[in-house]
Amino acid sequence: MKRLALLFSVIAAAAAIGLGQPSSASAGWCWPSCSGYGMLGAGTSTGNGCWYYSEVCSGWGYWYLNGVAKTCYPGCDPYNGVTSGRILYGYENRDRIRGNFTSFAGKRYVQPGELGMGGYLRAQVSWWSGTASQINVGVTG
Amino acid sequence: MTTRTKVTLAVLALLTAVAVGSVLATRTHASERAHLSQISNEGHHVALQHGSAWRGFGLTSASLLGVRGARAVYRLESKGGPCVGAGPADDPGKLGTVDCPRGPFPTSQRPVLDLSVYEGASHDSHEVSLYRAEGVAADGVASIAFLRPTGTVALRVPVNANVYEANAVPNGPIAGLAAYDAAGKELWRSP
Repeated sequence: MKRLALLFSVIAAAAAIGLGQPSSASAGWCWPSCSGYGMLGAGTSTGNGCWYYSEVCSGWGYWYLNGVAKTCYPGCDPYNGVTSGRILYGYENRDRIRGNFTSFAGKRYVQPGELGMGGYLRAQVSWWSGTASQINVGVTG
Repeated sequence: MTTRTKVTLAVLALLTAVAVGSVLATRTHASERAHLSQISNEGHHVALQHGSAWRGFGLTSASLLGVRGARAVYRLESKGGPCVGAGPADDPGKLGTVDCPRGPFPTSQRPVLDLSVYEGASHDSHEVSLYRAEGVAADGVASIAFLRPTGTVALRVPVNANVYEANAVPNGPIAGLAAYDAAGKELWRSP
Protein backbone atom coordinates (compact mmCIF):
# COMPACT_ATOMS: atom_id res chain seq x y z
CA MET A 1 0.00 0.00 0.00
CA LYS A 2 2.87 2.33 0.87
CA ARG A 3 4.45 1.60 -2.51
CA LEU A 4 1.17 2.43 -4.21
CA ALA A 5 0.92 5.71 -2.31
CA LEU A 6 4.49 6.55 -3.27
CA LEU A 7 3.74 5.78 -6.91
CA PHE A 8 0.73 8.11 -6.87
CA SER A 9 2.82 10.80 -5.20
CA VAL A 10 5.44 10.57 -7.94
CA ILE A 11 2.78 10.65 -10.65
CA ALA A 12 1.11 13.66 -9.02
CA ALA A 13 4.43 15.47 -8.74
CA ALA A 14 5.26 14.73 -12.38
CA ALA A 15 1.83 15.95 -13.44
CA ALA A 16 2.28 19.12 -11.43
CA ILE A 17 5.64 19.81 -13.03
CA GLY A 18 4.12 19.35 -16.52
CA LEU A 19 1.26 21.82 -16.13
CA GLY A 20 0.72 24.61 -18.62
CA GLN A 21 4.04 26.31 -18.17
CA PRO A 22 5.45 27.15 -21.59
CA SER A 23 9.04 26.64 -20.46
CA SER A 24 11.39 27.39 -17.66
CA ALA A 25 11.87 30.81 -19.28
CA SER A 26 10.47 33.84 -17.53
CA ALA A 27 7.07 32.65 -16.30
CA GLY A 28 5.60 36.04 -15.62
CA TRP A 29 2.27 34.96 -14.23
CA CYS A 30 0.71 31.68 -13.18
CA TRP A 31 -2.70 30.65 -11.92
CA PRO A 32 -3.44 29.42 -9.34
CA SER A 33 0.29 28.95 -8.87
CA CYS A 34 3.20 27.78 -10.96
CA SER A 35 3.02 24.31 -9.46
CA GLY A 36 -0.63 23.38 -9.11
CA TYR A 37 -4.11 23.35 -10.56
CA GLY A 38 -7.20 25.34 -9.66
CA MET A 39 -10.88 25.12 -10.52
CA LEU A 40 -12.18 27.70 -12.98
CA GLY A 41 -15.96 27.84 -12.91
CA ALA A 42 -18.85 30.24 -12.72
CA GLY A 43 -17.82 33.00 -10.33
CA THR A 44 -14.11 32.20 -10.25
CA SER A 45 -12.12 35.40 -10.44
CA THR A 46 -8.69 36.77 -9.79
CA GLY A 47 -10.40 39.95 -8.64
CA ASN A 48 -8.27 42.31 -10.68
CA GLY A 49 -10.83 43.67 -13.09
CA CYS A 50 -10.80 40.98 -15.77
CA TRP A 51 -13.05 41.32 -18.80
CA TYR A 52 -15.57 38.77 -17.59
CA TYR A 53 -16.93 38.00 -14.16
CA SER A 54 -15.89 34.32 -14.34
CA GLU A 55 -12.32 34.70 -15.49
CA VAL A 56 -8.73 34.58 -14.33
CA CYS A 57 -6.39 37.12 -15.87
CA SER A 58 -2.85 38.34 -15.47
CA GLY A 59 -1.82 41.88 -14.81
CA TRP A 60 -1.11 44.18 -17.73
CA GLY A 61 2.09 43.42 -19.58
CA TYR A 62 3.82 42.76 -22.87
CA TRP A 63 3.06 39.04 -22.84
CA TYR A 64 4.67 36.55 -25.19
CA LEU A 65 2.86 33.26 -24.63
CA ASN A 66 -0.17 31.99 -22.74
CA GLY A 67 -0.06 28.28 -21.84
CA VAL A 68 -3.07 26.45 -20.42
CA ALA A 69 -3.21 22.88 -19.13
CA LYS A 70 -6.69 21.44 -18.58
CA THR A 71 -7.23 18.12 -16.85
CA CYS A 72 -10.05 15.61 -17.03
CA TYR A 73 -11.19 16.46 -13.51
CA PRO A 74 -13.98 16.47 -12.42
CA GLY A 75 -14.87 14.10 -15.24
CA CYS A 76 -14.35 13.35 -18.90
CA ASP A 77 -14.37 10.70 -21.54
CA PRO A 78 -11.15 8.91 -20.62
CA TYR A 79 -10.37 7.99 -24.24
CA ASN A 80 -11.00 11.33 -25.93
CA GLY A 81 -10.54 13.70 -23.01
CA VAL A 82 -13.85 15.39 -23.79
CA THR A 83 -15.12 17.33 -20.77
CA SER A 84 -18.32 19.28 -20.25
CA GLY A 85 -16.46 22.42 -19.20
CA ARG A 86 -15.73 24.92 -21.98
CA ILE A 87 -13.12 27.64 -21.62
CA LEU A 88 -11.92 30.59 -23.68
CA TYR A 89 -8.18 31.25 -23.45
CA GLY A 90 -6.20 34.11 -24.95
CA TYR A 91 -5.74 37.80 -24.26
CA GLU A 92 -7.67 40.98 -23.68
CA ASN A 93 -7.14 44.72 -23.86
CA ARG A 94 -9.40 47.60 -22.97
CA ASP A 95 -11.52 47.18 -26.12
CA ARG A 96 -11.92 43.45 -26.62
CA ILE A 97 -11.19 39.93 -25.51
CA ARG A 98 -10.00 37.29 -27.96
CA GLY A 99 -9.16 33.64 -27.70
CA ASN A 100 -9.66 30.03 -28.67
CA PHE A 101 -12.29 27.72 -27.21
CA THR A 102 -11.71 24.25 -25.90
CA SER A 103 -13.56 21.66 -23.88
CA PHE A 104 -10.85 19.02 -24.22
CA ALA A 105 -8.31 18.00 -21.63
CA GLY A 106 -4.80 18.74 -22.81
CA LYS A 107 -2.33 21.54 -23.22
CA ARG A 108 -2.43 24.51 -25.53
CA TYR A 109 -0.42 27.62 -26.10
CA VAL A 110 -1.13 30.84 -27.92
CA GLN A 111 0.78 34.00 -28.69
CA PRO A 112 -0.92 37.42 -28.89
CA GLY A 113 -0.05 37.86 -32.56
CA GLU A 114 -2.08 34.75 -33.41
CA LEU A 115 -5.15 36.57 -32.15
CA GLY A 116 -4.32 39.75 -33.99
CA MET A 117 -3.30 41.41 -30.75
CA GLY A 118 -0.16 43.00 -29.43
CA GLY A 119 1.15 45.60 -27.05
CA TYR A 120 -0.03 46.05 -23.50
CA LEU A 121 -2.37 43.14 -22.74
CA ARG A 122 -3.72 40.82 -20.13
CA ALA A 123 -3.51 37.06 -20.62
CA GLN A 124 -6.78 35.39 -19.71
CA VAL A 125 -8.69 32.18 -19.30
CA SER A 126 -12.47 32.45 -18.99
CA TRP A 127 -15.05 29.95 -17.87
CA TRP A 128 -17.55 29.80 -20.70
CA SER A 129 -20.05 27.06 -20.01
CA GLY A 130 -20.61 23.73 -18.33
CA THR A 131 -18.87 22.38 -15.32
CA ALA A 132 -15.81 23.98 -13.77
CA SER A 133 -12.49 23.15 -15.39
CA GLN A 134 -9.38 22.17 -13.52
CA ILE A 135 -6.60 24.21 -15.10
CA ASN A 136 -3.15 25.63 -14.68
CA VAL A 137 -2.16 28.78 -16.52
CA GLY A 138 1.39 29.91 -17.18
CA VAL A 139 2.17 33.12 -19.02
CA THR A 140 5.57 34.29 -20.16
CA GLY A 141 6.58 37.82 -20.92
CA MET B 1 -47.01 -24.03 -53.92
CA THR B 2 -48.77 -24.48 -50.60
CA THR B 3 -49.62 -21.60 -48.30
CA ARG B 4 -47.14 -22.94 -45.74
CA THR B 5 -44.33 -22.91 -48.32
CA LYS B 6 -45.22 -19.36 -49.36
CA VAL B 7 -45.15 -18.15 -45.76
CA THR B 8 -41.83 -19.92 -45.15
CA LEU B 9 -40.29 -18.32 -48.25
CA ALA B 10 -41.61 -14.89 -47.26
CA VAL B 11 -40.16 -15.22 -43.77
CA LEU B 12 -36.82 -16.36 -45.22
CA ALA B 13 -36.79 -13.41 -47.63
CA LEU B 14 -37.58 -11.02 -44.81
CA LEU B 15 -34.83 -12.44 -42.58
CA THR B 16 -32.34 -12.24 -45.46
CA ALA B 17 -33.26 -8.61 -46.11
CA VAL B 18 -32.88 -7.73 -42.43
CA ALA B 19 -29.49 -9.50 -42.25
CA VAL B 20 -28.19 -7.77 -45.39
CA GLY B 21 -29.49 -4.43 -44.14
CA SER B 22 -27.80 -4.89 -40.79
CA VAL B 23 -24.48 -5.79 -42.41
CA LEU B 24 -24.66 -2.77 -44.74
CA ALA B 25 -25.61 -0.44 -41.90
CA THR B 26 -22.80 -1.75 -39.71
CA ARG B 27 -20.31 -1.43 -42.55
CA THR B 28 -21.47 2.10 -43.33
CA HIS B 29 -21.21 3.10 -39.69
CA ALA B 30 -17.78 1.46 -39.35
CA SER B 31 -16.61 3.15 -42.54
CA GLU B 32 -17.86 6.51 -41.30
CA ARG B 33 -16.08 6.01 -37.98
CA ALA B 34 -12.89 5.03 -39.80
CA HIS B 35 -13.05 8.20 -41.88
CA LEU B 36 -13.38 10.26 -38.74
CA SER B 37 -10.34 8.60 -37.17
CA GLN B 38 -7.71 9.44 -39.73
CA ILE B 39 -5.94 12.29 -41.46
CA SER B 40 -4.66 11.19 -44.85
CA ASN B 41 -2.78 14.39 -45.54
CA GLU B 42 0.71 13.63 -44.29
CA GLY B 43 1.95 17.08 -45.27
CA HIS B 44 5.63 17.61 -45.64
CA HIS B 45 8.21 17.75 -42.94
CA VAL B 46 9.34 21.16 -41.76
CA ALA B 47 11.90 22.19 -39.20
CA LEU B 48 10.26 24.09 -36.39
CA GLN B 49 11.68 27.34 -35.24
CA HIS B 50 12.21 26.46 -31.63
CA GLY B 51 12.05 29.68 -29.71
CA SER B 52 12.99 29.36 -26.09
CA ALA B 53 9.39 29.46 -24.98
CA TRP B 54 8.46 26.47 -27.15
CA ARG B 55 11.24 24.28 -25.82
CA GLY B 56 9.19 22.74 -23.05
CA PHE B 57 6.53 21.31 -25.34
CA GLY B 58 8.37 18.13 -26.26
CA LEU B 59 7.48 18.49 -29.94
CA THR B 60 9.27 15.79 -31.87
CA SER B 61 8.21 16.45 -35.46
CA ALA B 62 6.14 18.78 -37.59
CA SER B 63 4.42 18.48 -40.95
CA LEU B 64 3.00 21.37 -42.88
CA LEU B 65 -0.54 20.29 -43.76
CA GLY B 66 -1.27 23.30 -45.87
CA VAL B 67 -1.08 27.00 -46.48
CA ARG B 68 -4.36 28.89 -46.71
CA GLY B 69 -4.03 32.56 -47.41
CA ALA B 70 -1.66 34.05 -44.87
CA ARG B 71 -1.82 31.03 -42.57
CA ALA B 72 0.14 27.79 -42.29
CA VAL B 73 -1.38 24.82 -40.48
CA TYR B 74 0.75 22.04 -39.02
CA ARG B 75 0.34 18.53 -37.73
CA LEU B 76 2.70 18.02 -34.82
CA GLU B 77 3.91 15.07 -32.83
CA SER B 78 4.85 15.48 -29.22
CA LYS B 79 6.03 13.11 -26.54
CA GLY B 80 2.48 13.18 -25.23
CA GLY B 81 0.78 12.42 -28.55
CA PRO B 82 -0.55 14.28 -31.58
CA CYS B 83 -0.89 18.05 -31.63
CA VAL B 84 -1.88 20.62 -34.21
CA GLY B 85 -0.52 24.10 -34.63
CA ALA B 86 -0.62 27.15 -36.84
CA GLY B 87 1.39 30.20 -37.64
CA PRO B 88 2.11 32.81 -40.28
CA ALA B 89 2.53 31.39 -43.78
CA ASP B 90 5.34 33.78 -44.65
CA ASP B 91 7.52 32.32 -41.90
CA PRO B 92 7.49 28.51 -42.35
CA GLY B 93 8.07 26.54 -39.18
CA LYS B 94 7.11 29.39 -36.91
CA LEU B 95 4.31 28.41 -34.58
CA GLY B 96 1.97 30.91 -33.02
CA THR B 97 -0.50 28.48 -31.51
CA VAL B 98 -0.33 24.81 -30.49
CA ASP B 99 -3.11 22.54 -29.32
CA CYS B 100 -2.19 19.18 -27.76
CA PRO B 101 -5.38 17.42 -26.71
CA ARG B 102 -5.21 14.51 -24.34
CA GLY B 103 -5.63 11.23 -26.19
CA PRO B 104 -5.81 10.42 -29.88
CA PHE B 105 -6.81 12.80 -32.65
CA PRO B 106 -8.85 12.55 -34.76
CA THR B 107 -11.61 10.28 -33.48
CA SER B 108 -15.31 10.03 -34.19
CA GLN B 109 -15.88 11.80 -30.87
CA ARG B 110 -13.35 14.49 -31.75
CA PRO B 111 -12.98 14.77 -35.55
CA VAL B 112 -12.13 18.49 -35.47
CA LEU B 113 -9.61 20.62 -33.63
CA ASP B 114 -10.80 24.16 -34.02
CA LEU B 115 -8.10 26.82 -33.84
CA SER B 116 -10.50 29.60 -34.76
CA VAL B 117 -10.20 32.92 -32.98
CA TYR B 118 -13.26 34.37 -31.28
CA GLU B 119 -13.78 37.89 -30.04
CA GLY B 120 -15.96 39.41 -27.37
CA ALA B 121 -16.65 43.12 -27.13
CA SER B 122 -19.15 43.19 -24.28
CA HIS B 123 -18.31 42.67 -20.64
CA ASP B 124 -21.84 41.68 -19.78
CA SER B 125 -22.82 39.03 -22.28
CA HIS B 126 -21.16 35.79 -23.24
CA GLU B 127 -21.51 36.63 -26.89
CA VAL B 128 -18.58 36.27 -29.25
CA SER B 129 -18.05 36.81 -32.93
CA LEU B 130 -15.60 35.11 -35.24
CA TYR B 131 -12.30 36.83 -35.88
CA ARG B 132 -10.77 34.07 -38.00
CA ALA B 133 -11.84 30.51 -38.86
CA GLU B 134 -9.14 27.86 -38.89
CA GLY B 135 -8.58 24.27 -37.92
CA VAL B 136 -7.84 20.65 -38.74
CA ALA B 137 -10.47 18.00 -39.49
CA ALA B 138 -10.57 14.25 -40.09
CA ASP B 139 -10.85 12.71 -43.56
CA GLY B 140 -14.61 12.27 -43.41
CA VAL B 141 -15.28 15.96 -42.77
CA ALA B 142 -16.02 17.96 -45.93
CA SER B 143 -17.09 21.25 -44.41
CA ILE B 144 -17.38 23.16 -41.16
CA ALA B 145 -20.29 25.42 -40.33
CA PHE B 146 -20.15 28.19 -37.75
CA LEU B 147 -23.52 28.54 -36.10
CA ARG B 148 -25.53 31.46 -34.75
CA PRO B 149 -27.12 31.12 -31.30
CA THR B 150 -30.37 30.33 -33.15
CA GLY B 151 -28.69 27.37 -34.84
CA THR B 152 -28.62 28.91 -38.32
CA VAL B 153 -25.42 28.75 -40.33
CA ALA B 154 -23.39 31.97 -40.28
CA LEU B 155 -20.46 30.67 -42.29
CA ARG B 156 -19.64 27.42 -44.03
CA VAL B 157 -15.99 26.68 -44.75
CA PRO B 158 -14.85 23.80 -46.96
CA VAL B 159 -12.24 21.37 -45.65
CA ASN B 160 -9.47 20.74 -48.15
CA ALA B 161 -6.76 18.20 -47.38
CA ASN B 162 -7.88 18.16 -43.73
CA VAL B 163 -7.48 21.93 -43.30
CA TYR B 164 -10.07 24.70 -43.16
CA GLU B 165 -9.44 28.40 -43.00
CA ALA B 166 -11.37 31.59 -43.65
CA ASN B 167 -10.13 35.07 -43.07
CA ALA B 168 -13.25 36.80 -44.33
CA VAL B 169 -15.84 36.11 -41.67
CA PRO B 170 -19.29 37.53 -41.03
CA ASN B 171 -20.13 39.87 -38.15
CA GLY B 172 -22.47 38.77 -35.43
CA PRO B 173 -22.62 36.18 -32.69
CA ILE B 174 -21.29 32.65 -33.08
CA ALA B 175 -22.36 29.97 -30.64
CA GLY B 176 -20.76 26.81 -31.99
CA LEU B 177 -19.67 24.80 -34.97
CA ALA B 178 -20.70 21.65 -36.77
CA ALA B 179 -18.89 19.25 -39.09
CA TYR B 180 -20.52 17.77 -42.19
CA ASP B 181 -19.66 15.01 -44.63
CA ALA B 182 -19.65 15.42 -48.41
CA ALA B 183 -23.36 14.60 -48.56
CA GLY B 184 -24.18 17.33 -46.09
CA LYS B 185 -24.88 15.00 -43.19
CA GLU B 186 -23.97 16.42 -39.80
CA LEU B 187 -21.24 14.35 -38.18
CA TRP B 188 -20.32 16.29 -35.08
CA ARG B 189 -21.22 19.45 -33.24
CA SER B 190 -19.60 21.62 -30.59
CA PRO B 191 -20.66 22.51 -28.02
